[in-house]
Amino acid sequence: MSGPLFSPWLTTRVQFVLAAVFVVAGFGKIADPPGFAHEIHNYGLVPDVAVNAMALVLPWIEVVCSLALFFGLARRSSTRILGILLVVFMIAIAINLARGKPVDCGCFGTSKVERTEAERLRDMKIAIARDAGLLLLVGQILAATRREAFGV
Amino acid sequence: MRRGSFWREAVGLLVLGGIAAAVSNAVAGPERKLRWIGSYAAAPSAGPAAKGPTPPSVEASPAGATGEGGKVFAPHPDKPWVGASGDDVAGLHARGNVLFVDARRTSVYRGGHIAGARSIAVWEADADDKVKALFAEGRDQSAPIVIYCSGGECEDSHMLAQKLYFVGFDNVLVYKDGFPDWEKRGLPVKKGDAP
Repeated sequence: MSGPLFSPWLTTRVQFVLAAVFVVAGFGKIADPPGFAHEIHNYGLVPDVAVNAMALVLPWIEVVCSLALFFGLARRSSTRILGILLVVFMIAIAINLARGKPVDCGCFGTSKVERTEAERLRDMKIAIARDAGLLLLVGQILAATRREAFGV
Repeated sequence: MRRGSFWREAVGLLVLGGIAAAVSNAVAGPERKLRWIGSYAAAPSAGPAAKGPTPPSVEASPAGATGEGGKVFAPHPDKPWVGASGDDVAGLHARGNVLFVDARRTSVYRGGHIAGARSIAVWEADADDKVKALFAEGRDQSAPIVIYCSGGECEDSHMLAQKLYFVGFDNVLVYKDGFPDWEKRGLPVKKGDAP
């Protein structure tokens, strides 16, 4: 695709923004694995045996992919992984919204602020909207770099 | 980059993430470490006293019932825990010989906890070791133990209560309203790592 929306100039900036968001999110969780494990547990979607492993690995995948994106290495693959993660996060939050279960997002690490249930449910909707926005960035990168994929 | 290379690159990125996670967890201190397999309930791995079918000596209940005009808290071997109100807990604390256990994160404990309460942060990797150590002290297993976390929807106390029940403590009380209620009542609070 061509046009200003898919210019290499813009794609570079988009890559940086996406990488920055995920580095911050990743390190926020790496700072406190037990807290993140607790949050994964609260989502009620991951079997108990896998909760800790996921809490340990997921943030590092975010960080590794963002660093790759920042340095322009394997940028389509790292973007795709981040895109898949975003979709998974959105589904996980949406399921809990549908259940009416207020969960802490845990997106950027353990939250220390006490919030009411209504505030949590509202924050979950915001998180979905934010993830959708980030997904647009993923789409921009993938669309703008399609030519690489076909080796043209 | 050709089409088939996504999987190769993706596997590479995921493996890198896994290695980074392994290194980071290996160097993490006890407060940040996690066991790889499991959730908080890292299975009371061959706990010292597997809860056998032998019913604990309920007749010896006076152990839990040092009621100096206060409420009697009898052991309840059939349930891992029972709920306790702020008044109950304040009364037990006043007795001076009742064990209090804080189930919240170590960092939160450090910032202020019920005076005399010990820390067993259920979500941290050494929780099971601390439970085993508690068992190894050979305390009276039917004496009341009060567990609390941050009240409200916090389930850490219940998780810890399960663990204590598994090693044979059968008079665990969960202070439902937890630390916020304790503070509101203006009861004794201590800061730091020591109970």
